[in-house]
Amino acid sequence: MRKVRKLLPTYLLASGYALLLVLPLLTLLSASLRAEADLYAPGLLPPNPTLAPYGEALAKFPLGRFLLNSLLVATAITLGVLLTSLLGAYALTRLRFRGRELLFGLAIALLLVPGEVTFLPLYLLVDRLGWLDTYLALTVPFLASPLGVFLLRQFLRTIPEDYFDAARIDGAGHFQMLRHVALPLSAPALGALAALTFIGAWNMYLWPLVVTKSREMQTAQIAVNFILNEEVARWNVVAAAAILVLLPTLIAFLLAQRAFVRGIAMGGLKG
Amino acid sequence: MERTLARPSRRTLRLGLEALPFLLPAYGLFLLFMILPVLDALWLSLHREDLFGRGREWVGPGNYLEALSRPEFWRSVGLTLQFALIVAPLELLLGLLAALLVYRAYPGVALFRTLFFLTTAVPTAVAAVAWGWFLHPVGGYANRLLVTLGLPPQPWLTSPELALPTLAVVTAWAGVGFTAILLTAGLQSIPEEVLEAATVDGAGPWTRFWRVILPLLSPTLFLVGLLVVLKSLTAFGQIHLLTRGGPMESSTVWIYRVYQDAFFNFQVPLAAAEALLLFLVLLLLAALQFWLLGRRVHYA
Repeated sequence: MRKVRKLLPTYLLASGYALLLVLPLLTLLSASLRAEADLYAPGLLPPNPTLAPYGEALAKFPLGRFLLNSLLVATAITLGVLLTSLLGAYALTRLRFRGRELLFGLAIALLLVPGEVTFLPLYLLVDRLGWLDTYLALTVPFLASPLGVFLLRQFLRTIPEDYFDAARIDGAGHFQMLRHVALPLSAPALGALAALTFIGAWNMYLWPLVVTKSREMQTAQIAVNFILNEEVARWNVVAAAAILVLLPTLIAFLLAQRAFVRGIAMGGLKG
Repeated sequence: MERTLARPSRRTLRLGLEALPFLLPAYGLFLLFMILPVLDALWLSLHREDLFGRGREWVGPGNYLEALSRPEFWRSVGLTLQFALIVAPLELLLGLLAALLVYRAYPGVALFRTLFFLTTAVPTAVAAVAWGWFLHPVGGYANRLLVTLGLPPQPWLTSPELALPTLAVVTAWAGVGFTAILLTAGLQSIPEEVLEAATVDGAGPWTRFWRVILPLLSPTLFLVGLLVVLKSLTAFGQIHLLTRGGPMESSTVWIYRVYQDAFFNFQVPLAAAEALLLFLVLLLLAALQFWLLGRRVHYA
């Protein structure tokens, strides 16, 4: 009882602050559950809640296709980053060769290159390759990540030599040691990297905006932009579409919150 | 072990070839999609295209001089600076408040952590739409609240004076989850004994915060601050969705200028020069961040 009284100020403050932070999302949810006539009715709760805006958004726009595009792109990028980073990090920690430190330094240097600045030359390159408006443009340039190489290298360094030595004595080659020692042991780091990469890829905006032309290739993010433009007066439909686009990342976040938080804490402070 | 590293024998050279299949996927992609494009941008920025984008003519620093002599360019640089100067302190403050509320374990802390970290899972486009509705001139809750309080409604996104600060608030909101996570990790790395010692010495929560927590957290705060500045300098999605750089170019920040010049004014080499200038600024900030990180790791 004393403990609760001591914690009461924290509870009150935290609840109030959390409510304030979530308020814009709550008003969006509220708008998505209103008929057009009720859109401007006061109060946070919709007076006559209805799912009609969702039906309209789904009927008018190929939201399933947009979400599928985002899912495909984010999944492909995540799998690619995990694979290329693990391979690269393995070489940087387990193999000895000339220029190893240099290559690690290069990964750090590339970590500092923001994608938003290279989008223009990257666009020109992808255009020359004839990839505009294809899944290739949306995925291939992002299948490797300097952050991934960096994080996994730091992690693999913490695995004791003995584990690999034992595998070597059993006659394992490097690919087998990667598969049977490094891979299972780095599961937590891979999970964190996967969560970070997936949400990052799902949230890409500028790049899909410039490389997609046809509606069929648009990702959910870009679709929101077009729906907002076309339905500028019907905010309930726009809101419904936005909530549908939010759901997958929200669910992914709730399911993998620990991995995700760990990913940000590792990538942000140590990188 | 270190010695064999310094003097490669035939065996390590053989291992070099062995490393190739491991390194090639990541580093091949880096070369093709990160290093080459930057070099290409550099090359492009030193040329000028004819009206139909066919011939390319070497102009040396011409595009840079042109960019630097345009008032539009400097305006966008100034706006970017203003934007970052609002976003960074606001996002740090909001994130710090959240982190202070959840860095210690107590019953129910998991729920608050989820709520405070939630914005990291909100896509930029969804954040923009949520705020677009929240700030809607008629139906928006921001103005309804003002009216309830007897204050005049505000043209949040439609006035040249308010658009950029409003976008900065939206950006800070979208980033709270990110800063809260980093600052929570920072707070948790403060040794429990230090805080206990302060309590034993009779320090209340307020004194503990100012005299113990803040000084110990300040290196982390500074690093996170730099990270937030770096992110805010390349904010694009929310601006594209909410104001399209307007009204009257009042939110045409640096990166938006690059996008505008490349895709709407078709001055690709000029845009490349502008992008590389931004790149230079970001690189300097990032190098500063990394240098500080290295020092901190070294002395820790």
